[in-house]
Amino acid sequence: MIGTLVGLAILFPIITGLICLLIKNHKARGGVVYLTAAVLIISSIFFLRQGSFPIGYSPASTWDSVILVFNYVILACFLFVAIRDIAQRGVSRHNILTIALTLVAGIPLAIFEFSWAPHTPLEVTPALYIDHLSIIMCLIISIIGSLICVYAIRYMKDHEEHRMHLGELKETTQPKFFFFMLMFLGAMNGLVFANNLLWLAFFWEVTTLACWGLIRHDETPIAITNAFRALWMCLIGSVGFSLAIMFLWNGSSDSISLMQVISSGASAGPLFLLPFALLCLAGFTKAAQLPFQSWLLGAMVAPTPVSALLHSSTMVKAGVYLVLRIAPGFQGTHLSTLIAIYGGAVFLATAILAISQSEAKRVLAYSTIGNLGLIMLCAGINTPLAIAVGIMLLIFHAVSKGLLFLCVGAIEHHIWSRNIEDMEGVARNLPLLTGITIAGMLSMLVAPFGVLIAKWGAMEAASGIGVWSTLVLVLLMLGSGATTVFWAKWIGRFLCHSPVPGSAKTEPFIPLYHGILLMLITFAVVFSILIAPVYNSFVAPALTEAGYTAALAFTTGAWFLKSPIGIFAAWPIFIIITLALFIPVLTARAKPEASRSSYMCGENVEIGVDQFVAVADERTGLKTGGFYIENILGEGNLNRFVVPVGIVLLVILFVLAAI
Amino acid sequence: MNTGWLIGSAIIAVIVAPLIGGLLRGIDRKLTAHMQGRIGPPIIQPFYDVIKLFGKKPMVAGGAQLAFAYAYLALIITAVVFFALRQDLLVVLFILFFGSLCLPIGALSVKSPYSQFGGHRELLQFLAYEPILLLATIPIALKAGGFPVADIFKYGQPLLPHLWITFIALLIALAIVMRKSPFDISGSEHAHQELVRGVVTEFSGPYLALIELGHWYEMVLLLSILGLFWVTGSLWWLSIIIALGSWFIMLIVDNINARLTWSWMLKFAWGAGIILVALNILFINLGWM
Repeated sequence: MIGTLVGLAILFPIITGLICLLIKNHKARGGVVYLTAAVLIISSIFFLRQGSFPIGYSPASTWDSVILVFNYVILACFLFVAIRDIAQRGVSRHNILTIALTLVAGIPLAIFEFSWAPHTPLEVTPALYIDHLSIIMCLIISIIGSLICVYAIRYMKDHEEHRMHLGELKETTQPKFFFFMLMFLGAMNGLVFANNLLWLAFFWEVTTLACWGLIRHDETPIAITNAFRALWMCLIGSVGFSLAIMFLWNGSSDSISLMQVISSGASAGPLFLLPFALLCLAGFTKAAQLPFQSWLLGAMVAPTPVSALLHSSTMVKAGVYLVLRIAPGFQGTHLSTLIAIYGGAVFLATAILAISQSEAKRVLAYSTIGNLGLIMLCAGINTPLAIAVGIMLLIFHAVSKGLLFLCVGAIEHHIWSRNIEDMEGVARNLPLLTGITIAGMLSMLVAPFGVLIAKWGAMEAASGIGVWSTLVLVLLMLGSGATTVFWAKWIGRFLCHSPVPGSAKTEPFIPLYHGILLMLITFAVVFSILIAPVYNSFVAPALTEAGYTAALAFTTGAWFLKSPIGIFAAWPIFIIITLALFIPVLTARAKPEASRSSYMCGENVEIGVDQFVAVADERTGLKTGGFYIENILGEGNLNRFVVPVGIVLLVILFVLAAI
Repeated sequence: MNTGWLIGSAIIAVIVAPLIGGLLRGIDRKLTAHMQGRIGPPIIQPFYDVIKLFGKKPMVAGGAQLAFAYAYLALIITAVVFFALRQDLLVVLFILFFGSLCLPIGALSVKSPYSQFGGHRELLQFLAYEPILLLATIPIALKAGGFPVADIFKYGQPLLPHLWITFIALLIALAIVMRKSPFDISGSEHAHQELVRGVVTEFSGPYLALIELGHWYEMVLLLSILGLFWVTGSLWWLSIIIALGSWFIMLIVDNINARLTWSWMLKFAWGAGIILVALNILFINLGWM
């Protein structure tokens, strides 16, 4: 049974991805995507019902050879595409770095596998290790990831029609697109199950490859450049992986079993922190933490479902998964404290940078990096409460951020822009879509939604870690304030319109857009209401399996979630806030005759017309705009500090690990 | 503390808080008038104002404005209820922030330059005070042993001697929340500096009344949080003196200052306010306080 489920989770999407590559017919390809989504969702639920976790599972040893071969095939692929790029577009920083880093990552790995290891391929038992943390990830990947792929069927159709209309595209490139999308899901499932570090490193490379393929999908010069940036930055992580494996090797195959590495953690002698630091570096690059944030921002050129996938269920989530996974191994060390400070710094810096962004997807990207920073912060605090919060944040962020990207994509296909300024007043014409989007934003921002419950937990967890907690808390609170500002001002742009006399345009209901969005917002709401059962059945067992005392994290009751030092009355808050907010939102409607123009010193034209009367009774357009404080908070200004701070913190991280 | 008693106190809080808030606003206007050499309105003038506003014809200038005016009041009342139920202080603040956020969002949902200006400035005020209030819960919790307000009552000792540094920072936050000079950039509490009142420009009649009521609740809630600094022991009545004293300081500060720029406010709040609380947390962690 386990074998079948593992096969369905990892191999099935890769195979259907390959099939997509061959299908030219849009409908048939859509059918394959639907089928994959259905199979993944069902198999992930079957996985959950397996009962006794953790499960160790080793497939036939042939698979070790397959993975060995394909690992070098992928590295060769990276070399090939970089050399091809040199031939086509000339030498650039990005393709040279890609070649250099592929070699730096690949050669030590080859030395290890073919010369150091007693036999090739090196087998580790079990090759796969499946516990609740893996299952949580698997559910996120299989359910949210699949929904995004289904949404993409419609999105890519609209996207390509639009590009063909503009003359940017001759024939469909969707087969390749869905190949990478589906392969991504399979690789991610492999990544979260892998116990053999060589397997983990392999799946890590596959996700890098898929990410590269998806970012460059539109094949504009900027897309190709940004894809290479993502590639070489993620390859830094691969270098970290290769070196970590070499440092860990002590002659026995157990030394590269992830579970062994974590459990032997503190007792492993001098320099034991170095491999952990290297693995964290890999996690930071994947999660686009400072100073690697530019690859994820550059990835925004890709079609929106790609962003949704990268941000919610794959890629960046692999980074935080790895750090949360290995956190027990460095509990109570200076390394851990530094990771908390680092995460806090990322959270604050990205929240402030997000204020200055006027492109919707870049705001979402900064918010993602910030939230991942928050998860890193939790992993760094490394108490049971903090790890529980980190896992909860992982779940809730996946739902809400997937939702928000898909919302922006759907809005984009109505207004053909991703700029927040162009979204002014879209609530008038797209009430349902805007409503879902605003609800999604609120689910990232306010009580009683899961992300905020997690933030609350993070604040309480951060208060209990001694002297350094002061710094972590200051970063956390300031970041929290800035987060509120960039969400609130965006919500304001959506809603900004004059009262409309008569009825507004009706919004077409597109099942693949609205249906999936409604499904995701329902997840966000239901999981937040059911926070106690969600904690009990997923998070608490994951904590116990990782060696933390779950009782020190949260205790739950029928209506509350209790940390050792606080209480979140989930149910009552939900009920009261629903009454307080949603009843007015849903019912408060002004009578048409109550509509007035806004205050224009008496020089208004008429209701619903955005004009005022200027000199000589000339009608002049009324414009309003958002605020971005770009001259102070813009990237050009802040990155001068933010990037060096990121680099310095990483250097300190390695110094701490080496002493 | 039995549940019935708690629920009773929550109901009383919801009824009494606006009475106190309105009265304080009336006294505020009277005292301010005296400080400025005027006679000023009767001290129950705010109640007359609100009642009159409720009687006005409703007018709206934007789609979502109305819903957010209701939500503003309803969520702040929710925060007051949770405070009275002695819940987690962080949770109370989160609900309060959600409520407070409805005001700028409501203002931003009108296509009006003045209202937009006020909404954006209100968000900057928010950016200035939110981190101070959040951070201030930490030294309180470190001393009291937990975040619930109930724990502060159980602590049995006054907090002020250990947390006077935090208290000073909270006064800065209070001035920003009450929109007192020099922090009244999104619209003064008294309309004494402007003809078009920033964030509330486009709210009128009953909706302005809702916002005024919400503001009273908000003010009383923050003063109550300041009162927590001396809430236990035989001198518990000092908490009232502390709350009223803080309020009076705001009045004086308001009348001897002029409005300053948003960037100055942000630097001052993040600089002075945050550093003060951070020092307090550090001293507690080092065992010095």
